Amino acid sequence: MRLAGFFVFAVAVILLPILFPDNYFVTVVGIAAGLHVILAVGLNLLMGYAGQISLGHAAFFGMGGYASAILTTRWEWPGWLAMLAGLLVAGTIAWLLARPILRLRGHYLAMATLGFGVIIHVLMVQATEWTGGPDGLGNIPPLNLLGWTVDSDRQWYWVIAVAMLLVIGLSLNLVDSRIGRALRAVRSAELAAQMMGIDTARAKTQVFVVSALFAAFAGSLFAHQQAFVSPDSFSLMISVELVTMVVLGGMASTFGAACGAIALTLLHEGLVVFEDYEMLIHGALLMAVMIFLPQGLFVGLTQGVHRGWTWIASRRGAKEPHHPAVS
Amino acid sequence: MMTAHSSSLLTVEALEQSFGGVMALAGVSFQTPEKLVYAIIGPNGAGKTTLFNVLCGFYSPTAGALRFDGHELRGLPPHRIAALGIARTFQNLQLFFNMTVLENVMVGCHLRAKTGLLSAALRLPRVRREERQLRAWAAEALELCGLSDRAGQLAGALPYGLMKRVEIARALAAKPRLLLLDEPAAGLNDTETMALRDLIARIHATGVTILLVEHHMPLVMSIADRLLVLDYGSVLAEGPPVEIQANPRVIAAYLGGAVQYAV
Repeated sequence: MRLAGFFVFAVAVILLPILFPDNYFVTVVGIAAGLHVILAVGLNLLMGYAGQISLGHAAFFGMGGYASAILTTRWEWPGWLAMLAGLLVAGTIAWLLARPILRLRGHYLAMATLGFGVIIHVLMVQATEWTGGPDGLGNIPPLNLLGWTVDSDRQWYWVIAVAMLLVIGLSLNLVDSRIGRALRAVRSAELAAQMMGIDTARAKTQVFVVSALFAAFAGSLFAHQQAFVSPDSFSLMISVELVTMVVLGGMASTFGAACGAIALTLLHEGLVVFEDYEMLIHGALLMAVMIFLPQGLFVGLTQGVHRGWTWIASRRGAKEPHHPAVS
Repeated sequence: MMTAHSSSLLTVEALEQSFGGVMALAGVSFQTPEKLVYAIIGPNGAGKTTLFNVLCGFYSPTAGALRFDGHELRGLPPHRIAALGIARTFQNLQLFFNMTVLENVMVGCHLRAKTGLLSAALRLPRVRREERQLRAWAAEALELCGLSDRAGQLAGALPYGLMKRVEIARALAAKPRLLLLDEPAAGLNDTETMALRDLIARIHATGVTILLVEHHMPLVMSIADRLLVLDYGSVLAEGPPVEIQANPRVIAAYLGGAVQYAV
């Protein structure tokens, strides 16, 4: 079944808070992990499938966050409307930026997106009147969905879980479609893709906008959930972490990106006990994964399991005399 | 006498392509009549692949005109040229290696489908219907190319000869009117080359006009209806195989003989 993985994941997400209610790792870390999953799955569409890097993705995350923060605190817009506005802003900026920026390749694209991320970050710090500057914006009202106010950790867990499953579902559908195949074709052999009638510039633009929308969506949820935003949450470091999540989990795999996002979030939490050595161990672990599982955690491990399985199957087959082992 | 003018599918006129002073194509003119196998031969560096790349919109020519079925191709980007009904294979493989054979060929059907971003993300019922249709079309192309049993394999894991076939199947899946084959026999052994000849004949029988760049002379001479001989970016000769084989200028260019010809 095409969606078998999705249902397994969904069941796990639903069971966790039921089996472990009020567990810190579920209701607190789980929320952070869920937001990271949304961000990583969106970035993976751009990076993993279309093969275009973005080192400025935190900027779109921030646009969603600040749009919700500013519009709900200063103008008292309802949360859902502010969220839509954030999506509109991030989507429009991504669309305007896509054509000029996605003509660039490799290192040049990395530089350009990095520059974009820095500019947006500087705006968050400097446009003090709007953004509150380095101190950020607080007192963001809780999200209100059709009269239901989301304000406890448990409630947030469910909201983020639904959002995350929605994004994963959309991503899975997209990848396995005419559009997704076009994206993968662009990454694999751009000239051949063009010759098959794919408008590669348009395809890249579309996926850039989609990943920006996912990021802005996560940003709005984040702003309401934290009730506070500051430039620190949308810095270059965050952009780099998002790229790390995608690569860590395994590029060009929706569950790979999700897995990378969850793994990195848990790693941060798990390593807190090492205090000063946290980043050191963190870095070493990432290096080890890339050396030993270059395809990423999820992709590498599932391939390993698959290979092990076929190995066992072939051994079993070899015992029977009439089934010569086929290499 | 042929009525090449009235039934010409592709008309190339005084085409010039220079790269920083080097004339890769120096005024090439020819017409490809509809439903023919039209071969382009010539020594390495004669400008054959350059001609294909100009036809496909990868290069924009320095001068000249390219008309396909009444449309001027000059200035069109590759995906627009593809939309007019031109598909091609590549001399150096340009497969989507990390996709399955079936998916590769389904990309070939890109222009025959309509699914957009939003409907794809929501996987609406009509998207499912279209996916089924695409699979059927792709299966047809795979069948024609003898690749049905390879549909589920990763394209990058196939032997070289089969990869070249996947490229042909992918191009066919677009239902082109003009198919450009760039050295399809390069790297194939004799058995594979004979099978390729049969495949080209089968494709031709479906009514597709074929433009073939190839070095394998027995293959070219046995399947081409007409030939264009390029040398140093210019047309050396044009005509049916028997004429070309008897043409002293062609023999000189190919055998590197001392026969001189006016430039």
